[in-house]
Amino acid sequence: MLKHIVEKEIRDILISTKFTVTFTICSLLIILSFYTGAKNHQLAQAKYEAGKSENLRQIEGLTDWLSVRQFRVYLPPQPLESLVSGVSNDIGRTAEISGRGEIPVEDSRFGDDPIFAIFRFLDIEFVFQIILSLFAILFAYDAINGEKEKGTLRLTFSNSIPKDIFILGKLIGSFLALVIPLLIPVLIGTLLLPLLGIQLKGDEWIRYSLIILSGFLFTGVWLSLSVFISSLTEKSSTSFLYLMVLWIFAVMIIPRLSVIVSGAAVDVPALDEMNSKKARFISQLWSEDREKISLFKPTAGDDMQTTMNELNKFMQTNADDRDKKTNEFSSRLNEERVNKENLMQKVAFTISRISPVSSYSFAVTGLAGTSVDLKSSFRKSVEDYQIEYSNFMISKTGQNPGSGMRFVISDDNDEKPKNINPGEIPEFKFRPVLSSNLISGALKDIGLLLFFNIIFFAGAFFSFRKFDVR
Amino acid sequence: MEKIILLHELKNIVLTPKFYSSFLVITVLLLLSVFLGIRNYKDTVKQYETVTRLSNQEMRESSDWMGLNAKMHRKPDPLQIFVSGINDDIGRYSNISTFNPVKLIHSNYSDNPVYAVFRFIDFTFIVTIILSLFVIIFTYDAINGEKERGTLQLVLSNAVLRKDYIIGKITGIWLGLIVPLFIPVLLSILIVLLYRIPFAADGWLRLFLLLSASFLLYTFFIVLGILSSTLTPHSSTSFLISLSAWILFVFIIPRAGIMTAAQIIKVPGFAEIQGRESSFEKQRWEKNMNDAQERWKFRNAEMAKFPKEKRSAIRNQKMWEWMEEEDKDRKQVQIDIDNYNVKLTEDFRNNKLQQEKLGFILSSFSPVSAFQLCAMNIAGTDINLKNRYEDLLTKYRTDFNNYKEKKQKESKSPGGIRITIDSESGLKIETSREKGTLDLSGLPALHDYSYSFGQAFLSSVKSGGIIIFFIFICLGASVWKFMRFDVR
Repeated sequence: MLKHIVEKEIRDILISTKFTVTFTICSLLIILSFYTGAKNHQLAQAKYEAGKSENLRQIEGLTDWLSVRQFRVYLPPQPLESLVSGVSNDIGRTAEISGRGEIPVEDSRFGDDPIFAIFRFLDIEFVFQIILSLFAILFAYDAINGEKEKGTLRLTFSNSIPKDIFILGKLIGSFLALVIPLLIPVLIGTLLLPLLGIQLKGDEWIRYSLIILSGFLFTGVWLSLSVFISSLTEKSSTSFLYLMVLWIFAVMIIPRLSVIVSGAAVDVPALDEMNSKKARFISQLWSEDREKISLFKPTAGDDMQTTMNELNKFMQTNADDRDKKTNEFSSRLNEERVNKENLMQKVAFTISRISPVSSYSFAVTGLAGTSVDLKSSFRKSVEDYQIEYSNFMISKTGQNPGSGMRFVISDDNDEKPKNINPGEIPEFKFRPVLSSNLISGALKDIGLLLFFNIIFFAGAFFSFRKFDVR
Repeated sequence: MEKIILLHELKNIVLTPKFYSSFLVITVLLLLSVFLGIRNYKDTVKQYETVTRLSNQEMRESSDWMGLNAKMHRKPDPLQIFVSGINDDIGRYSNISTFNPVKLIHSNYSDNPVYAVFRFIDFTFIVTIILSLFVIIFTYDAINGEKERGTLQLVLSNAVLRKDYIIGKITGIWLGLIVPLFIPVLLSILIVLLYRIPFAADGWLRLFLLLSASFLLYTFFIVLGILSSTLTPHSSTSFLISLSAWILFVFIIPRAGIMTAAQIIKVPGFAEIQGRESSFEKQRWEKNMNDAQERWKFRNAEMAKFPKEKRSAIRNQKMWEWMEEEDKDRKQVQIDIDNYNVKLTEDFRNNKLQQEKLGFILSSFSPVSAFQLCAMNIAGTDINLKNRYEDLLTKYRTDFNNYKEKKQKESKSPGGIRITIDSESGLKIETSREKGTLDLSGLPALHDYSYSFGQAFLSSVKSGGIIIFFIFICLGASVWKFMRFDVR
């Protein structure tokens, strides 16, 4: 019996104009999102490579490692970023490395190219979140009351069909009719990825599959919700209106409001005030050190080289001491802000999970590695690299540059000093969050999507049992 | 007759439960967007005041002119309450210093990516997404719905001209959907007044212009819905057409336009430009360092022929002159670097401008993107906001550096730390003397540009024209299609 209902539902949907139109639009959009995502990735990769080589080129021709300034590292574009951009375009992607001190991460893609910020990008997350959810509503808003309006529901139940089988068949049928055809453009898109130069590794394929699965689960949520609302109302026009209002609230309002509410509830210390405190503290330390520097007396007598070495050592010790005090001060301030920020984020995300849209968004951005955690993992990689860089500089120059001072001793011979080799600088390696952690982090939201599916299905099931089919 | 049809249509719209629930949702959302916009604006004002206050405090606490730096924050504009545009995407302030070029850094979204996850709701968002969707729900069956119910044939069986009918219908729907909107709009203005948002006369005029543009977009969706209802005999099909058109205009064309432009006109990344700037800067400083070494070698060689006492006397006599010479060369280096950066930035901007132009032309195939661009131009939160501010601050940087230099000269202190080593007097370290805080009287003030109504109007005319063009196209097509519509 179930099989018959499922088959009928699939057949009804597949032969409808509604299906032809929506399937064409969705297919085009899905393929387009894969294509533009891959093209954007190519562009971002080219820009990243150009930035990197220009950064090394600016060092070429230098003869002294101490002259190396404005050495920058960049956040490399990640392959899955092309499908789910998340906040990857909003956060800073460049860090100017120095041997000591806090390193700010700057230059977001949207900040540098605001043209892309106006309308943002077309990615898989967007297609599922906005387009497929709307089409799911369109497919199922009249699943029950529409049949009643047409009189087919009464006809169906004049046979001995249990209500629970009917509703289950309806749901399975509409889900399969929507999802299976969509697998075609998804597969075409997947094939396009390697053809357009996006090579996914083993773990990335798993994450990619989970992203697609989350998308279909999310579509399932809207289908089951639509069937549920359709079984709660008498008229299909009413259920459609209710669903549109719910869609607007779930997609547009709740996620945004939750962040604003948590922003008002948790008082995160202002970044500008914190930065100013740090700047004033550094300036105060520097004033104190200036006094010490003016009193410096070398013990080496006439030997220039030894005097310079002594001065360098003295300056280094002062700089190390300043650095230590600054780090302690900054850590205290940063810790307080990070804790508050995390709390605010937690509150915001917990509230916003009322909407399945947020769960879906967190799941896919988490899996693609483009969630808000991307900022902290880039920062962590930069901090680790700073240690590596400073060790390298010490090994080359005997000092840790970063104070802005440069002492040069030159002799009178005309021998041209050798150029330094920029290739010796250790390469920056961005260490993203491990795939296993990303997957386990996303499982919670995938579970929530599943939960929404079950809840709405149960709702549809129980309300249909009381539904007056006459 | 038209009047009767118009009144009938008005009654049909206004007296339905669908209208009440939609109207309620729209009112709540519009008021919410304005309320949140005000909150966001107040936060920005607070940030602006904090950065300005702290920057002044840091400057006052500086003890030498050489190390004097400033931070200049973008001044918030009250119109950002309604149109946030790219306000949260671009940097909030720039450091003003001798050696670094102006650059807006620390955008709201990069500092707080949690806000970037879902972004903010503003008036433009409500108009482009929510209002347009509701309009489609109200209009998709305007004509074919009447046919399905059999009322169309009934009406036209009387002595009613088709032309009168469609004009009455369109006017009725337009009035029925536009007039009630004045209530939440007026309430929004009332909230702005209650919160004492400092709107100047110019600001009110720009707000009026923005509301007019919003009504234009609203009108476009009304005629689009009516047009789709004349295209097919079934309301379910016309709804599909309307919804597809809505998706196309709201989400697809704007994004696809910009992305196509990015593929056609390739602009080098900012990182690459930064690298080129650094490269030139390094070469120039390296040259300055080598030249300085040569100069000192020459000076020492010149002095070597004199006995020790005379050497010392000459050195003391000429030191200031030499320092001036070195300083002049250093300044020239900075001027060269600044000029190079200006040229590079100009090329970069021109390239980007081409890309933006093409992107906007392509995306203007959608009246929604035309509206968004129009709204941002009116509010001053448009794509040029970053360039406008960076240009303003670059000019300010010149004034600031001139002031700093003048003050440093007046202070007769070399500034910073000067270390001299020679074989006779050994190592000598001089630091500028601590003289307490600096007297910042005469510090040039940043004269913020005012974004006038005239500028807003001129920059929005083209986009407004595009929306009007689309309205007339859809209107003409609706009337034309209805004249041939099979009412049976």
